[in-house]
Amino acid sequence: MTMVAIGDEAQVETTSKRKFSGPAFWLLAPGVIWMVLFLVLPILMMVYVSFWTQTTFKIEPTLTLRSWITFFSSETYLGALWTTVRIWLIVLFSTVLVGYPAALFVGLFVRNKTIQTVLLVLCVIPFWTSFLIRVLAWRPMLGKEGAINLILMKIGVVQQPIEILLFSELSVIIGMTQIYCVFMVGPIAFMLGRIDPSVIEAAQDLGASFGRIFRTIILPLSMPGVVVGGIFVSVMVLGEFATSAALSGRKVNLLGNIIVTQVGSLKWAFAAVAGVVLTILMGAVVAALLRIVDLRKEL
Amino acid sequence: MNATGIKFGLGTYTALFLVFLYGPLVVLAILSFQTGPEGGPQFPIIEWSTYWYKHLFGLTPPSRIAPLPIEQALVRSMGLAVMTMIVSTVLGVSAAQAFRRKFKGSGFVFYLIVLGMMVPGVLVGLGMALVANSLGIDRHWWGTAFVLHVVYTFPFAFLVMLAIFNRFDPSVEEAAWSLGVSPARTFRKITFPLIFPGVLSAMLFAFTLSYDEFSRTLFASGRDLTLPLAIYGTFSVEVHPNVFAFGVLTTLFSFALLGTYAVLMTLSVRRAKQTAIQEEA
Repeated sequence: MTMVAIGDEAQVETTSKRKFSGPAFWLLAPGVIWMVLFLVLPILMMVYVSFWTQTTFKIEPTLTLRSWITFFSSETYLGALWTTVRIWLIVLFSTVLVGYPAALFVGLFVRNKTIQTVLLVLCVIPFWTSFLIRVLAWRPMLGKEGAINLILMKIGVVQQPIEILLFSELSVIIGMTQIYCVFMVGPIAFMLGRIDPSVIEAAQDLGASFGRIFRTIILPLSMPGVVVGGIFVSVMVLGEFATSAALSGRKVNLLGNIIVTQVGSLKWAFAAVAGVVLTILMGAVVAALLRIVDLRKEL
Repeated sequence: MNATGIKFGLGTYTALFLVFLYGPLVVLAILSFQTGPEGGPQFPIIEWSTYWYKHLFGLTPPSRIAPLPIEQALVRSMGLAVMTMIVSTVLGVSAAQAFRRKFKGSGFVFYLIVLGMMVPGVLVGLGMALVANSLGIDRHWWGTAFVLHVVYTFPFAFLVMLAIFNRFDPSVEEAAWSLGVSPARTFRKITFPLIFPGVLSAMLFAFTLSYDEFSRTLFASGRDLTLPLAIYGTFSVEVHPNVFAFGVLTTLFSFALLGTYAVLMTLSVRRAKQTAIQEEA
């Protein structure tokens, strides 16, 4: 397997790989320069500033490890790091759990192209409402006098309103799951739609049960979709701060929230340290996921 | 798949899934018709009214509830989204065009571009604010925030165009070249009309992403608020149903945009089909 891959690559190298010059250079230069100036440089600046000396009122470009030591010896910051990882893992899991069955139905069971498109569009429509409004919409849903408590009390499931629904970690997880699960449904449904129906029919003809078909054919073939969805969800959840700010009542502090508060009080060096930690965390997660699936091949 | 029982079960689940997706928005829409100014952002509806819609447009008598500063913010957000759309689509199309030929370092350039949509907004926002601070540059929505919006939307435009070029038949271009048409003219007359549906999608992506983007804008935009920042500002204060009314209006606006896109798309696809038929005849 590996031998074949290497052989292929070598062939490509000799036959069609050209030097980075000519028209390709001029077509790419603006984009590359833009990314270096406005993406790579700011990130490097963040790393640099994380070593600056922070005093109460100002920040000086004298290099020191103080901010780093403060970060890793503070319970607040380490707590935020742990909360970020925990919430990310829970939301990643819950988006797969909530999204997979819907994707399975749309991608595999609906064979009519029109209905399939309609269902996918239905999933995407909420995106046309501002992200922040979608976050805010969970408040009247989950609150003590919110819709869910109202309904549960009307049908007599609970006597007292459930207070833990809003301003808790649970509300952040519910909110994020709803907002991000579509990023899971899309790639998985796409992968499932590419499965050749005759493979499944053959398995059925040979007498395999649905459970067996799911385990040996459907699940493995849909895994690239899960990973791509996982990349989307991870990247977005790790950088989050708005959902936790709106739905947790300041009880859930993610690294993003730490950055926002530190910038708000002009503690640039601490914000930069939190930023670098977040960058490393995100880089590790994405790199790990990219090892499982090659993004360029799935396009 | 013909497993009827499983199909029925999954169908029911998908219906529930859609309820989960839409529930909050429906509740929000209902509560936007709460009576004002005393009515709060929760049930029960005391009395149905359009008070909060009037409040948004400043048509209600003054009350202690501050209006959302939407007028200026809307203009800024629209301007920013249009600028971002144009620049990122141009960058995206030209970069994808370059990727049609294999070249050394293509993997590196690919990941450099894709990195723009991967890095969380709060990180690039922070980095940009630090760069601006140390260089003594003023932060504005049309400057520091704008370049970050392009960093975010350019990769999307690039990926959309890459997918379009993957399904593109180069023989039509080669035919034009062999007939002696210049590359620039070939691109204008042949390539561009064929990839136009993709360009439209890239533009739509860029516009809507930029219009709704706030984590990049938060640190990079300085004093003047864009629309998402105005909404974010309401998070820290008491929420009133005027934000909900505003949510309903922006959703309707998005639908109008989506409708326009659908019409343009249908027209361009129809035109492409007609050209194909003419060629065959």
